[in-house]
Amino acid sequence: MPQSLDQYAHSAADWRKTLKINNQKTLTVIGFFVLLYSAMGLLADLYLSSLNYPDVPLSVLLSALLTFKIQPVATLIMFGIAALSLFVTFSFHDRLMLLGTQYREITPTTATSAEEQQLYNVVEEMKIAAGLQFMPRVYVIDADYMNAFASGYSEKSALVAITRGLITRLNRAELQAVMAHELSHIRHMDIRLTLMASVLANLMVMVIDMLFYNALFNRRRSNEKNGSGALLAAIMILRYLLPLINIFLMLYLSRTREYMADAGSVELLRDNQPLASALLKIQQDHQSSQEAQRYAYQSTPHESIRREAYIFDPVQAGLESTGSLSDLFSTHPSISDRLKALGFRQKS
Amino acid sequence: MGTKTVIIFALIAIFGFIVFTYNRLIALIEAVRNNQKQIDIQLDRRFKVFESLINVVKKYMDYEQTTLKDVVKLRSQAEQAKAAGDEKSRIAAENGISTIAGKLSVVFEQYPELKASQNCIQLQEEIVSTENRLAFAKQSYNDSVENYNATKKSFFTSQITGLFRAKLDFNFLYWQLDEAKIAEQENYTVKL
Repeated sequence: MPQSLDQYAHSAADWRKTLKINNQKTLTVIGFFVLLYSAMGLLADLYLSSLNYPDVPLSVLLSALLTFKIQPVATLIMFGIAALSLFVTFSFHDRLMLLGTQYREITPTTATSAEEQQLYNVVEEMKIAAGLQFMPRVYVIDADYMNAFASGYSEKSALVAITRGLITRLNRAELQAVMAHELSHIRHMDIRLTLMASVLANLMVMVIDMLFYNALFNRRRSNEKNGSGALLAAIMILRYLLPLINIFLMLYLSRTREYMADAGSVELLRDNQPLASALLKIQQDHQSSQEAQRYAYQSTPHESIRREAYIFDPVQAGLESTGSLSDLFSTHPSISDRLKALGFRQKS
Repeated sequence: MGTKTVIIFALIAIFGFIVFTYNRLIALIEAVRNNQKQIDIQLDRRFKVFESLINVVKKYMDYEQTTLKDVVKLRSQAEQAKAAGDEKSRIAAENGISTIAGKLSVVFEQYPELKASQNCIQLQEEIVSTENRLAFAKQSYNDSVENYNATKKSFFTSQITGLFRAKLDFNFLYWQLDEAKIAEQENYTVKL
C-alpha cells in the first residue's frame, strides 16, 4: 500500500453519484430485511397453524394466512416486539457507545487547549455547512489510537467522538474532513438504520431458534400428513443459513453507508483531498505500530460496540495486507476502495 | 371492485400526492430562507469577533486605529445597503471586511511577541474559523437553493407548483460574485 497521496492519480469525486447509487443499495437491503422478517413471521404462523389444523394442506393454510382468514398472530407479535425493542435500543444507545472509554465533553467553555477549541470550531463549521438544526455534542476520548465515531439519531442524542491521537496527528483540513464524515453519518441517519437492521436480524435469529427447538420437540407426535415435513426441513436449513444471510446483509449495509458518509464529507468540503490523506494517515498509523495499537484497543473495554461506527475498522488493520478474507468480513470497505470512490487511483 | 371504487382510490392517491408535494416544497422553501438568514448570522458574528479581536491587538500597535474605523465604516455601509435592499453594495462592503482579515494576519507576523502568545494562536484560529463559517453558510444556502429548484422544476412537481404559484413558486438567487469581481479575483496573485 503506497504511503503518500503523491502515488495516487487525482480526479474529482462525483459525490452526487456516489450518494445516489449507495442510497439505492440501502433501499434494496432494507426492503430485503423487512421482507425476510415478514417471511419469518409467516413461517412461524404457518408452523403454528399446521399444528392447529394437522389435516389441512400447507398451501391452503398459506393462502388462508395471506388473505387474513386465519389471523397471522405470530407475525403481528413479531412486529410488536420489533417496535418495542427498537424503542428501548434507541433510548439507551447513545450512552452505550462511550462505554469503557475515558471521555470528556468539549464545549466552548470547557475547551482547555487550542486544539480542543479548534475541534469544536471545526464541528460547528461542518454543522453550518450541513445545515443541521442542532449542534451535536463533541467528545474527546483519551486514547492514543486514531479513530472517531458518530452516534445518535435525533437532536438530543447526536454526538461525535474523536480520540486524542487523531486530534494531535491530523491537520485542520484533515480533521475537518473526518468530522464531516461523522456528521454525514448523523444527517444520513445511519445510526438509526444500522441499529434497526441489527435489531431485526437478532430477533429473526431468535424466532427461528424457537421454531427449531419447538419442531424438534414436537416431531415425535407429528403425523406428517399435510406435508409439514417440508416445513420442518425449511426450518432446519434456515436455522443455519439465516445468521449467515444476516451477517452479509449487515456488512453490505454498513459498507454502503460508509461510502455515503465519505461522499457526504466531500459534499460538505467540496474537496476530496483532505479526507483521502486523513484515511491514509489513519491506516498507516494503525499499521506502523500494530502491537501498540492492538494493546490500546484491547485495553479499552467494550471496543466491539464501536467497531461498526468508527471511521476506520480496527479489525482491518492487522489483517489488511494478508489477503481478501478480512475484506470479506470487514464492516468497512478497504481503504484503497474508499480512495478509489473518492477519486484517487493508485498509479501503477 | 367496481369502477367507482377504482376512481375513488385514484382520487385519494392524487390528493395525497398533492398534499405530500405541497408540504415538501414548503419545507424546502423555509430551509432556503433559514439558510439565507444563516449568512446574515455569520456576517454579524464575524463583525463582532473582528471588533473584539482588534481591541485585543490594540495594545500592540497604532495600526488598529484605522483598521477598526475601517471595519466600523464598512459595517455601517453594509447595514445601510441591507436596509435599502441593495444586495450589490452590501456584498461589496462585506468583502471589504474580508480583506481586513487578511491584513490582520500580516500584522501578527510583524510582531513576534504578539505572534508567540497563546492568545494570538487562538485568535488566528478564530479568524480562520470565522471565515470558514461564513463560506460554509453561503455554500449551505446555495445547496438548499439547488435542492428547492431541482424539486420545483421536476416533472409532476412543476404541475403542482403551477397550481399554487403564489405559495410555492419563488425565484431564489444563488449566492455568487458579480462578473467584475470574478475577473478581478481571477487575476489576483500573491505579492510578498
